[in-house]
Amino acid sequence: MMNEERRAFIRKSGLGILACLGAASGLIPKFSLEKTILPAWDEKPVPGKIRWGMLIDTRKCTEGCKECIAQCHHVHNVPDFNNRKEEVKWIWKSSYNKVFPTASQQFQSEKIAGRSYLALCNHCAESPCTRVCPTEATFRRWDGIVAMDYHRCIGCRFCMAACPYGSRSFNWQDPRTAIKDPSIAYPTREQGVVEKCNFCSDRLVKGLLPACVEACPQQVMTFGDLNDPKSDIRRLIENNETMQRKPELGTKPSVFYII
Amino acid sequence: MSRKKPMIFLGLTLVLFASLYAFLQDSMAEKPSQQPAKNLHQPVLVDSTKCIATKEFMRANHMRVLNEWRNSSVREGDRIFVAPNGSKLEKSLNTCLGCHKNNKLFCFNCHMYANVKPKCWNCHISAMESP
Repeated sequence: MMNEERRAFIRKSGLGILACLGAASGLIPKFSLEKTILPAWDEKPVPGKIRWGMLIDTRKCTEGCKECIAQCHHVHNVPDFNNRKEEVKWIWKSSYNKVFPTASQQFQSEKIAGRSYLALCNHCAESPCTRVCPTEATFRRWDGIVAMDYHRCIGCRFCMAACPYGSRSFNWQDPRTAIKDPSIAYPTREQGVVEKCNFCSDRLVKGLLPACVEACPQQVMTFGDLNDPKSDIRRLIENNETMQRKPELGTKPSVFYII
Repeated sequence: MSRKKPMIFLGLTLVLFASLYAFLQDSMAEKPSQQPAKNLHQPVLVDSTKCIATKEFMRANHMRVLNEWRNSSVREGDRIFVAPNGSKLEKSLNTCLGCHKNNKLFCFNCHMYANVKPKCWNCHISAMESP
């Protein structure tokens, strides 16, 4: 009788050990017999894993300072035609009622209504511009950036009509003649294509922050992954009252403002 | 009974050792060098010192290669090209020009002779225009 119980005990404990090892190899990757090499999977981007976003603390922004605009437009060879009608812009400054036309305008303090605010492409999660593009020249990338494939753009300007933020500009003329100090590392555009901010996707692949974020002397802009709950930008959005441009349209902009 | 006891324990330790053998191997094995997970935060090391294919192949097919590079890198974000010899290159016109810009007429000579007018240089800045 004693023997019988001992045998059962040993049998059960042996099975228990095996089960524990199995569970451990599943739970702790270090214990598993066959390793998965993660970098091999990471080479190609995973769609939807990252969503780049920006937070602009307008309280810190100096009135009249145009460092970020100058740097962005230099790095990306944005032409300057000196003509409002043919203006090409990736990032610009505008008044409160133009940047936030649907926010409350009544009895707004002189200080807030009188300032100028930075505006750029919002890289919306529900981007209307990518929906209307007939050639899919503009599309939402795997990392939330609304990108332009200038190779495909036919210049129909549907996207310009669809964008509620005026973030897109059309090249009415050959832009090359209007670039004073071209940067060799980045291409220009040609006549007849629409262009806009690319959230510095060219710099992100090199591990650099966007040009405007880096150029700002007051560190007004915070750039980061909105899908990462531990990122600086998410912490700042959670701890401050923020605003988006025309949120009622449901475009879910990735650019946030602290007023 | 008392003579069997050591045998049982010996057997048990043997079984335990056998079941743990694989894990011991694993812990003793040389750790693979800590490869950083390649994501957008880290730049990929690019070796642009070698051409990606033979001269003959590139003469006939460079336009196909460039088209494929353009589509996969711009649209899918797959920016790394692995050459047949294993070297990794960034899919970019700049990768080609990195080596070939010492000949400023590298593209133009041939295209002029063949009377083809590709639109690359409408936007991309060629070796002719860069200092």
